[in-house]
Amino acid sequence: MHDEMPGFFPGRPGGERDEPLLDMILERRPIPPWAPPEIYGLARMLAAVAGPAEPGELAGQNAALVAFTRLASPAGTSPAAPRSVRRLLPERSARGRLPLAAAVTAVAAGLGSTAAAYVGVLPSPIQHFVHVTIGAPAPPHDYSRHVPAVASSPTQARHEPATSGPPKTPTATSPVPARGKASHRWRYGLPANSPGPAIASCLPTPSPARNPVWPTLAPASAPASLSPTQSPGRLSPTQSPTSPGPRASGWAAPSPAATACPRVPTQTAVPRPGQ
Amino acid sequence: MIGAAFGVTLASAQAGDEAAFACIFRDVQPALLRYLRVIAPDPEDVAGDTWLQVVDGLVRFRGGEQAFRAWLFTIARHRAVDAGRSRARRPAVPLELSAAAQRLTSPDAADQALETVSTQAVMALIASLPHDQAEIIMLRVVAGLDASDVARIVGKTPGAVRVAAHRGLRQLAGQAERTGVTH
Repeated sequence: MHDEMPGFFPGRPGGERDEPLLDMILERRPIPPWAPPEIYGLARMLAAVAGPAEPGELAGQNAALVAFTRLASPAGTSPAAPRSVRRLLPERSARGRLPLAAAVTAVAAGLGSTAAAYVGVLPSPIQHFVHVTIGAPAPPHDYSRHVPAVASSPTQARHEPATSGPPKTPTATSPVPARGKASHRWRYGLPANSPGPAIASCLPTPSPARNPVWPTLAPASAPASLSPTQSPGRLSPTQSPTSPGPRASGWAAPSPAATACPRVPTQTAVPRPGQ
Repeated sequence: MIGAAFGVTLASAQAGDEAAFACIFRDVQPALLRYLRVIAPDPEDVAGDTWLQVVDGLVRFRGGEQAFRAWLFTIARHRAVDAGRSRARRPAVPLELSAAAQRLTSPDAADQALETVSTQAVMALIASLPHDQAEIIMLRVVAGLDASDVARIVGKTPGAVRVAAHRGLRQLAGQAERTGVTH
């Protein structure tokens, strides 16, 4: 290799003078007329290599344009991008359809069972079971028998300040039971530790404007609202199942007092904490 | 080379103009493919990977035509190296050599070039040179890059690039004289 350096061609003296010519070839500059013919030949060879595209060399243009359209176009201006997204969507939905359906079914079954338990429409043995396990209302035929149990349960004990004494008795003796099973939920309301909030999250949350009783039914204010002097007859209307207000507040209420119906005329009689 | 209109063309391509991008592609692709035919076993595949990366970074690119070409050929070289490594990791798989790869590995590449005086014949001659010399000549002559850009791409100094290019040209001229390949 080193013996090539003295001349442009091996064996040719004075080849060092050709180096500027080689630079001209490399830089694709015009070759001066005094250059040796070998330089011209070399320049022509390299010019052929650097020439225009030959057939087949631009075969990848379409693929490059597709890639350009998909990747380089600004978002929203390329019609190919949505197409590619659409092509991906069925595959993704097909992959995720079965687990999604299973999850939805499981959630629906759970929510439905819980809702049925709190509505009280389950068969009596099952209703009794869920009554014992998750604090759902007792079966109708056990109503009077289970009232003390409910009252003595931790759930009920937590709301003792709100429902102690007469409130429990009025609930049991109120004329509401005569209305049927659907009334139980309003009679008992929802325990604070019940799984009800899972359902309540799917229900419209009553706003204070719709249910002005809501703020006053906080546990702190409950004792005042459920004073022993309050008659059972005044409480039972607040638990009417026919009112849509307490239905919503009943699922989401943290205390049985929250099942109070907003249309109860005694709302104004409920003293607020500041009162 | 696009020349003075390159800036406008590039800006249009960066804005999503397919025609502008196609103009750039048609200008660069022949040189890219010929360069890859010298250094890569699968030039078409490597060229495709190169353009994908170019498209991906086109919006962020800033610079003139020389810088764009230097950027593109840098990507191409990296992809070619990756392709070579990928092939090296699969030695047990029998490879179907493409025509370009056969030209690279065939000992009688210069003899084949004798048959036809064409671009392919000259490329075969270049491919018969030592790898670094062939690559530098292709980058300098075919890609149109200056010595400093080539030096950055191949990891040499500009002086070393110049020396290697001169040596390669001398060998190429001598080989062409012996084989009679002229154009």
